[in-house]
Amino acid sequence: MEAATAPTARPGLWDRMVERVPPIHRSPSRAAQIVGMLLLAISAIFPLLFMLSGALRTPADWNHSQLGLPTTSSLEAFTSAWGSANIGLYIRNSAIVTTGTVILSLIVAATAGYAFSQQDWRGKRATYLFVLAWLAVPPVALMVPVYYEMSSLGLINTYWSVILLYTALNTPFNVYLMTSYLRGLPDELMEAARIDGAGIHATFVQVILPMARPALATLAVFNVLYAWNEFVFALLLLQTESVKTATVGVLQLQGRFSVNYPVLVAGLLLTSLPVIGVYLFFQRYLVRAIVAGAVK
Amino acid sequence: MTTLTARLPKGRLARSHGSPKRRRARGSRWGYIYAAPAVALVIAFIGVPLGSVIYHGFTSWNGFSPPRWVGLDNFKVMWEDPIFLRAIRNNVLFALSVPIEVVGALILAHLIHERIPGWRFFRSTFFLPAIYSTVVIGILTSVVLLPQGPFNQFLGDVGLSGLQHNWLESTGTALGAIILVVVWANFGYSVLIYLAGMTSLDPQLAEAARLDGAGFWKILWKVHAPNLRRVIELVFVINTITAFAYMLPYIYTMTHGGPGYSTFATEYYIYETGFSGGHLGYASAIGVMLALIVLVIGAVQIRVLTRGEK
Repeated sequence: MEAATAPTARPGLWDRMVERVPPIHRSPSRAAQIVGMLLLAISAIFPLLFMLSGALRTPADWNHSQLGLPTTSSLEAFTSAWGSANIGLYIRNSAIVTTGTVILSLIVAATAGYAFSQQDWRGKRATYLFVLAWLAVPPVALMVPVYYEMSSLGLINTYWSVILLYTALNTPFNVYLMTSYLRGLPDELMEAARIDGAGIHATFVQVILPMARPALATLAVFNVLYAWNEFVFALLLLQTESVKTATVGVLQLQGRFSVNYPVLVAGLLLTSLPVIGVYLFFQRYLVRAIVAGAVK
Repeated sequence: MTTLTARLPKGRLARSHGSPKRRRARGSRWGYIYAAPAVALVIAFIGVPLGSVIYHGFTSWNGFSPPRWVGLDNFKVMWEDPIFLRAIRNNVLFALSVPIEVVGALILAHLIHERIPGWRFFRSTFFLPAIYSTVVIGILTSVVLLPQGPFNQFLGDVGLSGLQHNWLESTGTALGAIILVVVWANFGYSVLIYLAGMTSLDPQLAEAARLDGAGFWKILWKVHAPNLRRVIELVFVINTITAFAYMLPYIYTMTHGGPGYSTFATEYYIYETGFSGGHLGYASAIGVMLALIVLVIGAVQIRVLTRGEK
């Protein structure tokens, strides 16, 4: 920097080079920016570390201190959360609900996406907008009628209640994403399938579905996270112990008269691990869903 | 990240050059059949409940005896109901944090976009809070903020025991704590939306500004922000709608609306008055009002978004 200002005769090369130096070297606040970003990143990881260190403690160690490394490393909290606190059962239920929701969502999105992108029929545009329009309805506004509808269908306390509801609530977005993706497929493919004499169903199964794999993966990740984490309707519709999902089940660990905190955080950690794993492994698919939602 | 979005314009282009007529020959009837499951699901589980909530909003109903038509009574009562007004006021307070999120996430996204050292790591970790279940976040926060909990313990350890506080059970701090947690839980989502929008920015613009001597902030505000207007508005709307319609899990796990009604929100009122109080007609009317509020926010969004279009 000093060298740049010192020579007086030739303002050429040095000055230009200094100008070209990316802002990273010029900005004195760069260090502060990185520190700020690091603090945020640490806050994002903190819950995981907190749950892990808390779960390894004995209740006595927890009462002694909740921060820093545990002085005990007992797996007792995990085993009692999984077993006697029923977290194992809730996680199984969450897995069933999530699997059902994802499978149904993919089928509905793929078939509708096919109809809206690759076929021509009267009223297609209007029907497409009709499906998308429900994005405007906030689900919580429907708490009361959804409960009574499910109850009159006899679906309260069944996995189907939330599987059908979750699929329906996400259908507008799922169909939007799938349709946009299929619209981008080259026409030659359909052409080729036609020349090969493939019928409408054969084209769907043999051409569309394989080509749609990236979009299907994106939707799968998005819907896994949604179904696993959903709380409000799971609370309303799944009330008996045997069908409760993890997000509702962990509430019981909080609600008991004397809370065993290591068991509570162990339960929260067990509940979180599946979605965190999905996120870490399938990050790019999820990012794609958000990008598709944002850049319309 | 780019494959999907990059494909769209190309695909549309290809379509306009193609021959749409030839396709029309096939499967006109099958289009309906293939679209039917999606249409049936949204009608059955969004359309029917929406019709039902609107109808029941005009009734007095306890869930057992048949609903009784009361006209606009529920809606009239609502605007004189101090709890409802308090809930709406709290929603507005929640929404006041939106500008922080909109601007903060934009700055973070800009830093990542500029490839600050460690940007990949930041991009991944910033989204983690949006991956944790809202219930897990709520319960964890309530544990961390217990009177004898880790946060107060930490304050004591660093010699700030004067600041120790019963955070979630004092009117002065409970609402602020919830706002802070929700902003924290959602900022990664906003950052990702910005990053998606930034991929379409022309890097030469920033480069040119940089050569003209523009610094970090000037490039962000004068060069990037105007081109990101739509994305900024989208982030604004998504977070505003969150403040009105996605707060229930946090409130349920952290404060149950208390102390008093200081953290009570509209959705929580629907839940309470409908399922604990048994006033299902009134709860439905509040649901209608909430849907209308969200619709207005969305409509303002569409108006704002189409404003600049030629």
